[in-house]
Amino acid sequence: MERTLAASMPMAARSQDPDIDLVERYFAGETKAFDEIMIRYERQIYRVCYRFVENREDAMDLAQDVFVKAFEHLPTFRRESSLKTWLYRIAINHCLNHVKKHSQEFVEVTEYTGSIRSSVQAEMEHQEQRQRFRKLVKQLPPKQKAILELRINEDLSYEEIARISGRSISTIKASVFFALEKLRKLIKDPTV
Amino acid sequence: MFGHLKAKDFVNLIEGIGHPAARHHSHLESCARCRATWKAVESLHAQVSSLNNDIPEPEWEQFRSSVRDRLLSRSIQRETAVRRWTGWAIRPAMAWALSFLFVAGLTVLTVVWNGSKAVRQSNSSETPVIEPVSETTIEAGPERGLFDELMQLGDDEQQQLRQMLETSQKGSRQQ
Repeated sequence: MERTLAASMPMAARSQDPDIDLVERYFAGETKAFDEIMIRYERQIYRVCYRFVENREDAMDLAQDVFVKAFEHLPTFRRESSLKTWLYRIAINHCLNHVKKHSQEFVEVTEYTGSIRSSVQAEMEHQEQRQRFRKLVKQLPPKQKAILELRINEDLSYEEIARISGRSISTIKASVFFALEKLRKLIKDPTV
Repeated sequence: MFGHLKAKDFVNLIEGIGHPAARHHSHLESCARCRATWKAVESLHAQVSSLNNDIPEPEWEQFRSSVRDRLLSRSIQRETAVRRWTGWAIRPAMAWALSFLFVAGLTVLTVVWNGSKAVRQSNSSETPVIEPVSETTIEAGPERGLFDELMQLGDDEQQQLRQMLETSQKGSRQQ
């Protein structure tokens, strides 16, 4: 996708940061720039949101909120970090706030999916194990979980995660390790 | 020989990043506790990454148009809110009322100002007139008039006047 976008850009614009170029084109009123920013980041932001709510509709709502917020506050984007880092930071903060607000609802949803899972149990043992594991991952503290998923599943570098969360690289590495350690304990005793 | 591995050392070992030192590997060989932790955490790392493909994707075109619609509706809401506060100024009834108040205020001010001006004029007509003082009296004084008269005297008269003055001066000295 990014390759397609790069190919559609004029030669002069390619020399600088394509994200900054997109932002400037958006401010200049070019409606195509909006679509290009969306195409570039919609999947990544949606996936981050999905990892917090594990539900397609809620993840879509959250991701849309993130983009609405981002486009409304785009004039305040100071270009000190990359657009990607900025968007991820908005997404993580928005999702953490959402989780905080709806923590009670999540417990109910988890219990509900648990009962569904018991009916699926007979069909696929492997699938059930994965579901169970995902449920354990969901039990991790939200910030720890976010860092773990950004690193392992979204393949963001430690530098990028450090910039998004405003912490040091060593702290991020430690968070990943402690998240995995916590998972180990949860597997042994899910009530921990 | 060395202390146990730290959290970031485990991560570096699992992900093969930051060139884990040889001493970390040698420590793993000698320390059963760290080796057990490393194995457990490594397998969990692999399990977490296997969850990656479970995410159902939405219809992206629809997703984009929803974002566009929400942005549009929010900008309309903002404009409406602004108009709610500033709109009163451009409503016709309010414009008429403001114009009327402006004209009425201007009329009252004019009437009050004219009234106070008339009162001031009537007061000034009752005050007594002061006679102007002649300019020559103020400027020259009585000495200048006497000097002018002396200058106009003839030579004989001047001589007589000088003699009179000298006799009067002598008389005053003798006294």
